[in-house]
Amino acid sequence: MSKNSSKKKQEEHDLKGTLISVLGIGAFIVISWFIVFALFVAR
Amino acid sequence: MIKNSVALNKLDSKLVMAHMYVAFISLFIGGLMGLLQTLVRSGTLVLPFGISYYQLLTVHGVILALVLTTFFIIGFQFALMSKTVGMSDKQRDSAWFGFWIMLFGTVTTAITILLGKANVLYTFYAPLKAYPTFYIGLALVVVGSWIGCFTNFRQLYVWKKKHPGEKSPLLAFMVVINMLLWFIATLGVAATVIIQLIPWSLGMVDTVNVLVSRTLFWYFGHPLVYFWLLPAYMAWYAIIPKIIGGKIFSDSLARLAFVLFLMFSIPVGFHHQLTEPGIDPVWKFIQVVLTFMVIIPSLLTAFSMFATFEVTGRSKGYTGLFGWLKGLPWKDVRFFAPMVGMITFIPAGTGGIINASNQMNQVVHNTIWVTGHFHLTVGTTVILTFFGISYWLIPSLTGRKLTKKINTLGMIQTIVWAFGMSIMSGSMHIAGLLGAPRRSSYSTYGGSEQATEWIGYQIAQAIGGSILFIGIILMVYIFFYMVFAAPKGQEEFPIAEVSEDAEPTPKFLENWKLWIGITVALILFAYTIPFLDIIHHSPPGSPGFDKIIR
Ligand code: HEM
Ligand SMILES: [Cu+2]
Repeated sequence: MSKNSSKKKQEEHDLKGTLISVLGIGAFIVISWFIVFALFVAR
Repeated sequence: MIKNSVALNKLDSKLVMAHMYVAFISLFIGGLMGLLQTLVRSGTLVLPFGISYYQLLTVHGVILALVLTTFFIIGFQFALMSKTVGMSDKQRDSAWFGFWIMLFGTVTTAITILLGKANVLYTFYAPLKAYPTFYIGLALVVVGSWIGCFTNFRQLYVWKKKHPGEKSPLLAFMVVINMLLWFIATLGVAATVIIQLIPWSLGMVDTVNVLVSRTLFWYFGHPLVYFWLLPAYMAWYAIIPKIIGGKIFSDSLARLAFVLFLMFSIPVGFHHQLTEPGIDPVWKFIQVVLTFMVIIPSLLTAFSMFATFEVTGRSKGYTGLFGWLKGLPWKDVRFFAPMVGMITFIPAGTGGIINASNQMNQVVHNTIWVTGHFHLTVGTTVILTFFGISYWLIPSLTGRKLTKKINTLGMIQTIVWAFGMSIMSGSMHIAGLLGAPRRSSYSTYGGSEQATEWIGYQIAQAIGGSILFIGIILMVYIFFYMVFAAPKGQEEFPIAEVSEDAEPTPKFLENWKLWIGITVALILFAYTIPFLDIIHHSPPGSPGFDKIIR
């Protein structure tokens, strides 16, 4: 397996959708976290 | 290379199927209890014959979280090992031996619970005390699973001997990581059960050190959830790419994620004990920081999955920022069910981060939010992935086909499950934020005003729970159909290959001594001082209570 991967041309994949998706997940986590944090602060 | 589509040999199939029968029968019993719980909690149903709510809840937790998961996982992992590194007659014998011990233990524990002698819930926190056979049965389940561990270790070892210098097959590597995690983690729960709880329950000692036993339990309890999750990740990383007609994005990334899970899922049990007195806050803080380290392999996994999907979609000619989504086989239940599981992991994982954050833990601790959380993680992400695996694993083991009809029924099952769970888990999350407690039977709390806010959500949970139970019936039907009735044929055992563009996997990723060494070092670091502290400053032990919750 390592053989054929080493010398094949390393064309770059287009991973823009992946980037946006993962950033979206990150944003979702941060927003949810702050919503509950606000609840903690308010109580 | 691995020959795809050829199923396992007959003997290995039988072994795996034995585990699957236990798993799916457990699903049915546990699901029924779940339904009854939601009905009781909403004030819709009063249990007949003096059956206790907590007896149901104990059955539900034990049979779904401990029995279903363990049997499915060990069976699935034997299938993966047999497929990738093979299984000798001797190894198969020891696997069967482990299976029978686990089954014997399960039956022993089940009888004790059904006789009403163990209303202690699946976490069996002292000083709640069960009849000794409850603990003895559980100990046997653990011992049986250890036999499974060592059988898997042996399988890979023998393969490595025969293939010097080669890297191990990815799935075999993953199975061994998961079993290492399980073995190291269960040492803790075995210690409290064997050293503390069994002698205490037998009356050989009068009291039990509650904090020590809870600490040992949670030393096991958090890695337990990763023991459930990692087999789902095995399917995501190494099987789904094949099903969608793609390749594994990166073998190294997959192995790295698994290694990180091994290292960071054990020295973190204190995040379940944040509200507990008697543990130094400094060590709670350290373990919370270690907990947050598992976000790294989790996001690595998210990235890896999206990348696999995007590369595959684009290679099929779909363009645009999200056009590749159309390149995925949405109508193939082997993809659809785990995919819904993956999507569910976004809110599920987020909830976990909130739970583990010290301040927010005070908002949600022991509320039904927590129950909502793990019905997303284990009750949806993991379970839907396991269902997704079953759609090809069961027919490939029984020499039958996954028919179009079952595929459609499976799609419906997935949608029913996702829909019912959104309602049930969603209302659990909200009610929890409003302060509704978990693990409590129906009560108006003396007419308290706050409690009136909860009842609408309890009813929503009962509606969601009823829909979920339909999902359970569908799945159990699908299982037995695939075992006994589907047309004969050959179903593919899908194992993906690594992308040609992936970098070669570096050798150090398979340095077992290094990974085990770091894991043990982290555990010793995170637990030694606080644990000695706990023992040193213990209050007097507690007598047992076996009549407190009925
Ligand atoms: C028909 C589907 C299901 C329904 C209706 C259901 C319902 C419930 C309810 C209402 C509770 C909490 C009650 C309380 O805290 O008082 C509960 C607890 C629990 N459920 Fe489920 N559930 C279902 C499926 C599952 C599945 C598939 C799993 C895991 C694989 C699971 C694992 C658990 C666990 C571990 C608990 C905690 C028990 C405890 O607190 O001791 N459930 N379930
Ligand atoms: Cu945890």
